[in-house]
Amino acid sequence: MKALTANRLLDGEAVFLSEGRWVERFADADLFEDDAAALEAEAHAKTQLTVVVDPYLIDVIPSDAGYAPLSFRERVRALGPTNKPEHGKKTEGGEGIEALLHATGAARSKGRVELIRRK
Amino acid sequence: MPVLIRWKDDRAEAAEDPFTAVADEDPIPRGDVIISLQRFQAEGQRLLAEGRKVGVRIEPNEAVEDLARDLPRLSVVALAFPKYQQGQGYSSARILRERFGFGGEVRAVGDVLREQARFMVRCGVDAFEPADGSSPEDWTHVVNRYRHVYQRAADDLAPAYEERQAS
Amino acid sequence: MYRYDAIDREMLADRTAEFREQCGRRLAGELTEDQFKRIRLMNGLYLQLHAYMLRIAIPYGALTGVQLRKLAFIARTYDKGYGHFTTRTNLQLHWIKLKDAPDILDHLAEVGMHAIQTSGNDIRNITADPHAGATADEADDPRIWAEALRQWSTFHPEFSFLPRKFKIAVTASPADRAATKVYDIGLRLHRNPDGELGFEVLVGGGLGRTPYLGPTIRAHLPARHLLSYLQAIMRVYNRHGRRDNLWKARIKVLVASLQAEGFAREVEEEWEKTDKAAVDLPDTELARIRAAFAPRGFETLPATSAAFEAAKADPAFARFARHNVKPHKIPGYAIVDISLKKPGETPGDCSAEQMELIAELGERYSMDEVRVSYEQNLILPHVKLDDVAAVWKALHGAELATPNRGLITDIIACPGLDYCSLANARAIPIAQAIARKFEDPALAEQIGELGIKISGCINACGHHHVGAIGILGVDKKGEEFYQVTLGGSAEAEASLGQILGPALPAARVPTAVDQLVEVYLRERLGGERFLDTFRRVGLAPFKEAVYAGAH
Ligand code: SF4
Repeated sequence: MKALTANRLLDGEAVFLSEGRWVERFADADLFEDDAAALEAEAHAKTQLTVVVDPYLIDVIPSDAGYAPLSFRERVRALGPTNKPEHGKKTEGGEGIEALLHATGAARSKGRVELIRRK
Repeated sequence: MPVLIRWKDDRAEAAEDPFTAVADEDPIPRGDVIISLQRFQAEGQRLLAEGRKVGVRIEPNEAVEDLARDLPRLSVVALAFPKYQQGQGYSSARILRERFGFGGEVRAVGDVLREQARFMVRCGVDAFEPADGSSPEDWTHVVNRYRHVYQRAADDLAPAYEERQAS
Repeated sequence: MYRYDAIDREMLADRTAEFREQCGRRLAGELTEDQFKRIRLMNGLYLQLHAYMLRIAIPYGALTGVQLRKLAFIARTYDKGYGHFTTRTNLQLHWIKLKDAPDILDHLAEVGMHAIQTSGNDIRNITADPHAGATADEADDPRIWAEALRQWSTFHPEFSFLPRKFKIAVTASPADRAATKVYDIGLRLHRNPDGELGFEVLVGGGLGRTPYLGPTIRAHLPARHLLSYLQAIMRVYNRHGRRDNLWKARIKVLVASLQAEGFAREVEEEWEKTDKAAVDLPDTELARIRAAFAPRGFETLPATSAAFEAAKADPAFARFARHNVKPHKIPGYAIVDISLKKPGETPGDCSAEQMELIAELGERYSMDEVRVSYEQNLILPHVKLDDVAAVWKALHGAELATPNRGLITDIIACPGLDYCSLANARAIPIAQAIARKFEDPALAEQIGELGIKISGCINACGHHHVGAIGILGVDKKGEEFYQVTLGGSAEAEASLGQILGPALPAARVPTAVDQLVEVYLRERLGGERFLDTFRRVGLAPFKEAVYAGAH
């Protein structure tokens, strides 16, 4: 399973492709089961010069709490920095965010984003 | 043929390029040519004896010092910038101008963009084959954008410390 | 303190106008990202995980109140109300929008600041001893030379497309507070037996994938020839440095391949041919810069202060005085360290409100000077002993009086995977967890001087190779692991750390530090620092403690 991500040109925000639009929430991202469709979406995104920067596909896996990006780095992008609870996408809260925060049991990456908790 | 931009009297102008850049595997055509250093070392004397103008292309890893003896008879030294990151040519240009007093054309060829224009002009480059489609107007604009410089180079701009002393 | 004159200001104005135009071309689609990237990277604008990051240059780490207030304003208006001071004494803003960047540069230019050459393969912001002008042990004020270098290196026509980035540090004190041995060029200003001012020139130090301590290529370069000699070094590097492999492109690799003597010979040969008078600064210009840094306004005071001594009755102040107050060259004055390392906070982070308070304290009590150190702390360099208690009180109220300079909780950490797109692992949460473990100031004090330095990848922005305890984040199959090194130091007796053993998972790191400290406390003799004990007993006992029972 794949999703398409990039950073928005104007402000650098991490964004995900959702039904032809770029959205800020990973939870709303289109999930591609089909590699050909994913590559096609990526190729199109690369032509969107004035909209996004460096679009690329990321691996997404089912975890015990919904779908999550496989790599730890992508989870940090989807949530915001872990050192500041008050900054980034995670502050919005909600189901999608909770799922990402607790996405354990991934095939490759078992790490939880809140590996080291603040007091 | 790429447009040639010449830098003269503080501005850029479009120019016809009388030279043919000849690849090592191609035969030498009639007229004025720019050839590689290797080819120049083999055939340069003969070509010059024929009375035509000769230019030599210097790759980033080649030393302009190897041309020192021949410089008075060369019309052009073309410095190659295959990628903009390959900045050896800036040093080569200054050595040509400041150390050897080369008075012919120093041309920048390759990945030559307007962002480099000012640096190149300051190092003594006076002809360009821009790779980004810039016009002579663009070139004049970017080169003249700054009113001051902090260091002496191959151009005749007075560095800030001299301006300060004068005022 | 050097103030920009009309020429310096016009340089900045021309630069910001150029960048505004370049941004406009990008937003209009006239430039591709590839073309634009190299442009924005010549101006400190990176694209990171969550947003753009703007790296603002703080030449030789020196700030005035007006400048620091402007940084606070920018942080509040265009970012999330804070900034991050780095090991290069720059300030990074991590939540910048591309469309705001030209306006931010205009604001900076108003106070003589910029982001010029804070990225790209050029000569980066020049760093210097943060105690310059305040410490008794310096041969001259290194800021004079750093400012000369700032001007010389700005938009240098020949050296703006080098094989790789290039960093220069200057110190004039035998106690190296500028890490000159791990710089591309380290300059150590001193007087020779004849009393002449000159530089010991070190070239080819650096951290990253292959760390080196820079060898000396010239023991005493007459100070007035600094620029022509550096031009010769830069030219040899620009012509012969490797460009075929990113990991071999730094000058350290060239110096190592030619050996220090071979490299020195190349430089001397080039220098011989150089028209020195055309490159070196005339005495008039040096005198102009020197005058800007001349000490002024110091009062004649007794060497001791009754008020300062009396305030020590408060044990919290006494502890602050022990660790964060350093002797000044003028009797009755002190250098006051402001720690940006409150346990649990992000090392090097400073809120807009804190910046404003420090700006005010600097203006009121420190002759309008604030410094940034590579340890990611701030410094008030000229505080009257009589005023230290008042300064402490104000700092205390803003959580800025942590009495831990040089102690185990004074941890250097790069932004790591929380922000940086090059990272393998996070650095900040590791620092937070370790600092919390040792947050009892009495414990930290008992442990004494111990530098922990953490990088999120092999680029080593967190200087892990020169940490008494160095911690490097690595990626093992998508998980964060940390490789620990021991025995590094960036000070006068510099050394590179030795690898302790296999990388540890994140959750194990704070415990491992605890175990290392236990071994040290058990083994230490007399007043030995962690580093001294390590140098005496070696790796084995530490290794045993951390890996006992592990397979
Ligand atoms: S060391 Fe690596 S992770 Fe840390 S700031 Fe530098 S590049 Fe980023």
